[in-house]
Amino acid sequence: MSLSQRSENAILTAPLVLFLLALLGFPTVLDVIYSLSDVSFETLRAPTFTGLDNFRAVLADPDFWQATWFSLKFAVLTSVAECVLGLALAIYFSPILRRAPWMLAILIMPMIIAPAMMGLMYRLVLHEFIGPLPNYLYNWFGVSYGFLTAQNVFKTIFVIETLQWTPFALLLFHMAYESIPEDIREAASVDGTRGWRLLTRIELPLMLPTLGVALFIRFIDGFRVFDNIWTLTGTGPGGSTTSLSIYIYVAFFRSGEIGQAIAASMILFAAAFLVLFVAARRGRGKETA
Amino acid sequence: MRIASLIRWIVFALAAFILNFPVIATLITSFKSNAEISRNPGLCIREPTLANYATVFDPAGRFDVWQFLGNSLTAALIGTILPIALCFPAAWAMARRGVGMNVLFPAAVNLRALPLIVFAIPLYLMYQTLGLLDTKLGLGLILAVVNIPIALLILTNTVRELPYELEEAARMDGASMATLLFRIVLPMCRPAIVTVFIFGFITAWNEFLFGLMLTTRDAVPITVGASFFFASGGGGVQWGVAAAIIMVSAAPPVLLGLVMYRHIGGSMTGGAVKG
Repeated sequence: MSLSQRSENAILTAPLVLFLLALLGFPTVLDVIYSLSDVSFETLRAPTFTGLDNFRAVLADPDFWQATWFSLKFAVLTSVAECVLGLALAIYFSPILRRAPWMLAILIMPMIIAPAMMGLMYRLVLHEFIGPLPNYLYNWFGVSYGFLTAQNVFKTIFVIETLQWTPFALLLFHMAYESIPEDIREAASVDGTRGWRLLTRIELPLMLPTLGVALFIRFIDGFRVFDNIWTLTGTGPGGSTTSLSIYIYVAFFRSGEIGQAIAASMILFAAAFLVLFVAARRGRGKETA
Repeated sequence: MRIASLIRWIVFALAAFILNFPVIATLITSFKSNAEISRNPGLCIREPTLANYATVFDPAGRFDVWQFLGNSLTAALIGTILPIALCFPAAWAMARRGVGMNVLFPAAVNLRALPLIVFAIPLYLMYQTLGLLDTKLGLGLILAVVNIPIALLILTNTVRELPYELEEAARMDGASMATLLFRIVLPMCRPAIVTVFIFGFITAWNEFLFGLMLTTRDAVPITVGASFFFASGGGGVQWGVAAAIIMVSAAPPVLLGLVMYRHIGGSMTGGAVKG
């Protein structure tokens, strides 16, 4: 490569690199410094070095482990539910969507709504006095169900998250299903492979990579969940809906435990990095963003 | 066969209704008076009124909603145009010359998968020092970071699939790098840039966490401003008004998304599947 081409390449990529370094690189350095220090809002300029104390404090905090367990459980359950539902609906609805493609827009509308707004909408929808859902449940079935009580709140936010993001999985599987070449189906039908057999033996195996991608994306988004839970329940009754993101936010803003909040976010960063690294190793060449 | 198809349509209508139920219920509530909401919480409506929307935009009201909307618009535009400007030249260098494919490309694209809260705290501290806290620019800059992965991914894929001959011919004619990029490659990338713009704008408009953490008064975006209406300021929440502010906040991305949904169909999935 010639010298001029090299300097050209540098000029072309420099704006992006510098921007990322300024907005993410510098904060990451700050992260490392503060995570190893005793620091409060008053002593931001003069943190005292305390080694791994913050990390020890986080790892000894039962709330941290409860939040981690919450996020993990939430991410696994929602990503699986979304993918199963999305896959089933994409295949079942394919005759409709083939005839009227614009119908897809109706199904994917929840994805365009801000998750924070979704949380606020459910405050209204589930309200015990003025909410339409409790109202119908009581009038038609005589049931009063406390959607947001400590006992039921996890089920409720699980359903809310699943309803908002099943369309994402549906869209992915719809595109994967429609991109299966028609001659494969024709060849199978000549061999007498139709219906259920065609689906399980030929079509589903062809969609397997998409399933991996969909599960992966929904898992990460579920794991870092914040907006919809925060606007609906906050930390929840007895801290029952504190996801890891909410744990870090609360430690920083409400409790002012800066060092501990940053230490927790560094642990989260390391975990995410590890997951990405493993995923990249396993799925080289695949687009997973 | 007839019956199977009928059942399919019924299931479709049911799924569409359930998935969009919160939106439908909120939309209907936003047209009810407070008296009707407490008397009749269901989905039917007896005396539709625009009073809630009038309250939302009342200049003498509790919050300046026009300011929230203006903040969201400014921050979202910065957060959408900046990533395109930064990523377009880099995407060309990556697609055509393989520059940065080992580190820069995967690092930038994988940002999509990192929990944003990880960067939120040090950014807060950095913004405090730089005076960017509670500014539209500060919010816009971080929204740009959020949109960089998808912008870079889509633009790189697009450039890679452009015919090479045109660029070669331009090079032969002695075109400079700038001419090549902006006169020849850019026009061919226009559809992809429109896609990135629409998708990025929706993402930026809908962002909540950074708005919550990095703004307090002057630069509050509409998603955060809407949640203010749920904090009862003396007396309970006014549910009709609260429903109206949610609809006002959700309307721009929904309208944009529905009008342009063909453009964003693919990118909604974050480039997970090509095509």
